[in-house]
Amino acid sequence: MASPALLHVNQVHKIYSRGVFNKQTTFDLQADFTISEPGIVGVMGPNGSGKTTLFELITGSNIPSSGQVLVNGQDIHQVRSDQRDRLAIHYHQSYQVRHFRKRRPNFMLQPSPTDYPLVHLFDEPQFNTQDGYIGFMLDFFRRLRDEDRLVVLCVHPNEPFHLQIMREICERFIFVQSGRLTQAPDYDSLLQNPDVTAYLGDLVGGQAA
Amino acid sequence: MALFEASHLHKRFADQVVLEDITLSFEENQISGIMGPNGAGKTTCFNVLTGRFKPDRGRVHFDGRDITGLPPRKIARRGIARSFQMMNLFDEYTALENIVLALPEVRDKGFRVLHDLSNDSGAQDRGAQVLARMGLGGREGALASDLPYGQRRALEIGIALAAEPRMLFLDEPTSGLGTDATAILAELIGEIRKSVSIVIIEHDMRFLFDLADHISVIHWGQVIAQGAPDQLRENEWVRASNLGALA
Repeated sequence: MASPALLHVNQVHKIYSRGVFNKQTTFDLQADFTISEPGIVGVMGPNGSGKTTLFELITGSNIPSSGQVLVNGQDIHQVRSDQRDRLAIHYHQSYQVRHFRKRRPNFMLQPSPTDYPLVHLFDEPQFNTQDGYIGFMLDFFRRLRDEDRLVVLCVHPNEPFHLQIMREICERFIFVQSGRLTQAPDYDSLLQNPDVTAYLGDLVGGQAA
Repeated sequence: MALFEASHLHKRFADQVVLEDITLSFEENQISGIMGPNGAGKTTCFNVLTGRFKPDRGRVHFDGRDITGLPPRKIARRGIARSFQMMNLFDEYTALENIVLALPEVRDKGFRVLHDLSNDSGAQDRGAQVLARMGLGGREGALASDLPYGQRRALEIGIALAAEPRMLFLDEPTSGLGTDATAILAELIGEIRKSVSIVIIEHDMRFLFDLADHISVIHWGQVIAQGAPDQLRENEWVRASNLGALA
């Protein structure tokens, strides 16, 4: 049997709605993709497009309305909630943290099969050219990949160098807009997508040359 | 084996991962630096390394012995001293009194001896020696509250040194100091390193690059890079930053 994919987001659907009798969907996110090999995946998309919700679903803190997330074949939502970050970990700013109710007690769930996470999701890390830390951060992403981990790097580019970083370090891309995902196998095909160029606006002007 | 070794430390507060699999070692007779951006987990790391917080997982060894989870007082007795970001001087005591109260022989005697301190010339001499090493010779009688900020910082380090530790941990020693006071502090640390191994946690990269023998860069609660300052300085982003431009 082939070894399971590092990350399999299997027909995940998350629906937010309001109202009791006349339910109205306020936001819905659909994601269905597989990443088999270690690597660095870039995620981009406007604010409110569902990037952080996607990350919360992958790390198991948020529960999908349907579908499942498998990390190395293990359903993340079946893992003890206090050990999910040994499988997939979400690095975020403290203001991004949302708290979710736990659905089932930990003793009814499974221990994490790994101690150090296989999937590392970096949610808008602060890239500041002044302080010089960027190089260490990029080296760290590469090291994780070389140690057979999956790095998912979410950046909302607002400077040309943000885009340069993404181009330099990411091997494939996922673009998120209004709760829908588009995949691109490399940077050039990402920029073929008119939604992406519209989103990036002036930033790609200098890049295209 | 290094004098101080921490392996696979994990720490979290509620759902927040603060340290994720930190492995660090600090050699004897060296200055080791830990640096990282704000919120990287540096202070939590300091607190776990020096025993204030117990790690959720992982071990800490000092001089070959496991000190994981020992209370800070016992860790201090093994020869580890620490000086905090936060001032913890007795403002109404003189510089000399602050040091004398930190001498191990005085601490061992506890309250009963307090009245006799003025007659304890041995303790006073040793205290004065520590002050002199800290560049505070002549300030013995000054109230701690009257000292300028840089000298207060030096006095705090003196208090930590009074216990004659083998290893001294300093948490953000430059915080609140201006350029001149920072330069004086660097000189001071360069001097005391002759008798004690030092670990400095600091966000000021340049301060560490000038002083440390080995630096660990911490971010996301992990060691994302490490090496000698010259190795780290080779990084193209470091060279392109303010730091590289000014180096």
